[in-house]
Amino acid sequence: MLLLTLLVLSTFDLCFGSTNLFSINSTDPLFSSILFDIRLPKTLTSIIAGSGLALCGLLMQSLFRNPLAGPYVLGVSSGSSLFVAIATMLISSVHISGFFIMGKSIVTLFSIIGAFFVTLIILLISRKNKSNVTVLLVGLMLGQILSALQGLIEYVSNADNLKTFVMWGMGNVGNTTLQDLLFVIPIYAVTIIASFFFIKPLNAILLNEQYAQNLGINVNALRLSIIIITAFLVGLITAFCGPIAFVGISVPIASRLFFKTSHHLHQMVFCLLLGACVVLAADVICQLLSSQFMLPINTVTTIIGSPVVMYLLFKSKLSIG
Amino acid sequence: MIVIKDLEIGYKNKSQYHTVFKGINMALDAGSFVGLIGDNGIGKSTLLKTITGNLSLLSGEIKINNKQITEYTAQQLSQILSIVITEKIGGFNLTVWDVVAAGRTPYINIFGKLTTHDEGIIISSLTQLNLLTLKDKLIDELSDGQRQKVMIAKSLAQQTPIIVLDEPTAFLDYTSKHLLFKTLEKLCQEQQKLIIVSSHDIDLMKQYVHKTCTLTEGYKVTIL
Repeated sequence: MLLLTLLVLSTFDLCFGSTNLFSINSTDPLFSSILFDIRLPKTLTSIIAGSGLALCGLLMQSLFRNPLAGPYVLGVSSGSSLFVAIATMLISSVHISGFFIMGKSIVTLFSIIGAFFVTLIILLISRKNKSNVTVLLVGLMLGQILSALQGLIEYVSNADNLKTFVMWGMGNVGNTTLQDLLFVIPIYAVTIIASFFFIKPLNAILLNEQYAQNLGINVNALRLSIIIITAFLVGLITAFCGPIAFVGISVPIASRLFFKTSHHLHQMVFCLLLGACVVLAADVICQLLSSQFMLPINTVTTIIGSPVVMYLLFKSKLSIG
Repeated sequence: MIVIKDLEIGYKNKSQYHTVFKGINMALDAGSFVGLIGDNGIGKSTLLKTITGNLSLLSGEIKINNKQITEYTAQQLSQILSIVITEKIGGFNLTVWDVVAAGRTPYINIFGKLTTHDEGIIISSLTQLNLLTLKDKLIDELSDGQRQKVMIAKSLAQQTPIIVLDEPTAFLDYTSKHLLFKTLEKLCQEQQKLIIVSSHDIDLMKQYVHKTCTLTEGYKVTIL
């Protein structure tokens, strides 16, 4: 059923926009230009961003055994943002102008490093202090520090770079070109496939770390692997779409409420599909609401998504975490 | 089955050793029910964690089936020794079935697929503890006594000759405590498992356990 929703939403996403595709003859070069150069990359990016972030959220929530974990809440997205800020504003102002493919891969690299760096710090702290509250507080604080540093960089950068960066920060799936996707899709595919090799250890760690260790799981190796996977995914997606809030934390929660299973094989598939649907739906709504300009996707995902999850939480009697 | 010689337990912090207890000697055989008594903070949990390989020993040796514990891989150890600890688990849609199925982790493939053989073992573990009717219940919906039974069923599904339980009676009422110890006694006798259990309940220990080991400050511990 989710797969069907995904297909329908993808079609919607391809069809709607500032220009009505049906009014153009399909042999017109404009038709293929709009479809393949603008709509298709945007639809694919939405799917990649939504599914990737949702999967990261699931992996982090299981690893920390905390339903409040997610790339945005724990400051991982902020880490990416800061490093993207450094890359776009400091480095690009020196010699690389604008966003061409070379610049983008450097930005992506920085973004991944930023995400990795933050996840590593959170992990080290979570090992010293087992309390979930501490981990969350540290994540929040870290996010604040990183945002402050980012503010500092914004303050010293020039107006053009600043505008690019602020627009990026609102979250946008429409800036990716087909050429970018050739670079994005392989990394995305490898990380998604890699995460499916951790289903068994993730299932075991849901009990707790000591039980997992006793069940023959190398907990340290699992932690490191999950960190690398999430850093790559969050870094990649953040570099191209900006820090997208809400999806990472809420989709796994919603998925657990909808699908009553703890098995990671099922939850991973559900999160991938549900995440993709959420961002696609947000993008469709963005276009329906305003045909003149692109609404930032963060606004839509948060305003529409959060109440849905709150409703689900109130309705369900049991703890989700 | 387990032979412990001049064991020193504690925590390693970089190059610093923090000794919790030393001078422990034990020889424990299959089919025995061993109780561990001692005040809070004396090192019961540390000793159990060291025996299960969750903590590394500081000095001395632990041999399981005539082989040093350090020579076992985590995977091999997981098929010899299983644990039940005090920390409560739950959430994330975990059902009774899921937790007992986790006991099959050492035997199943990387994608966590259970074979019919695995499912048979899970069902028989659940049946032994009268949990079969609860199999689809969420862990969060259970009473403390039922939770402990689920964790023991998990250990049974893990099919280990040794089961180590750290204060399994901590949250239990009078009846549940006795039921739990009766179950453990039965496992010892019928399946020749070595069961090591720590508890503050001395009366309970006297009634069921074959050997007791008391950790007291400044004394050596010898059980043969």
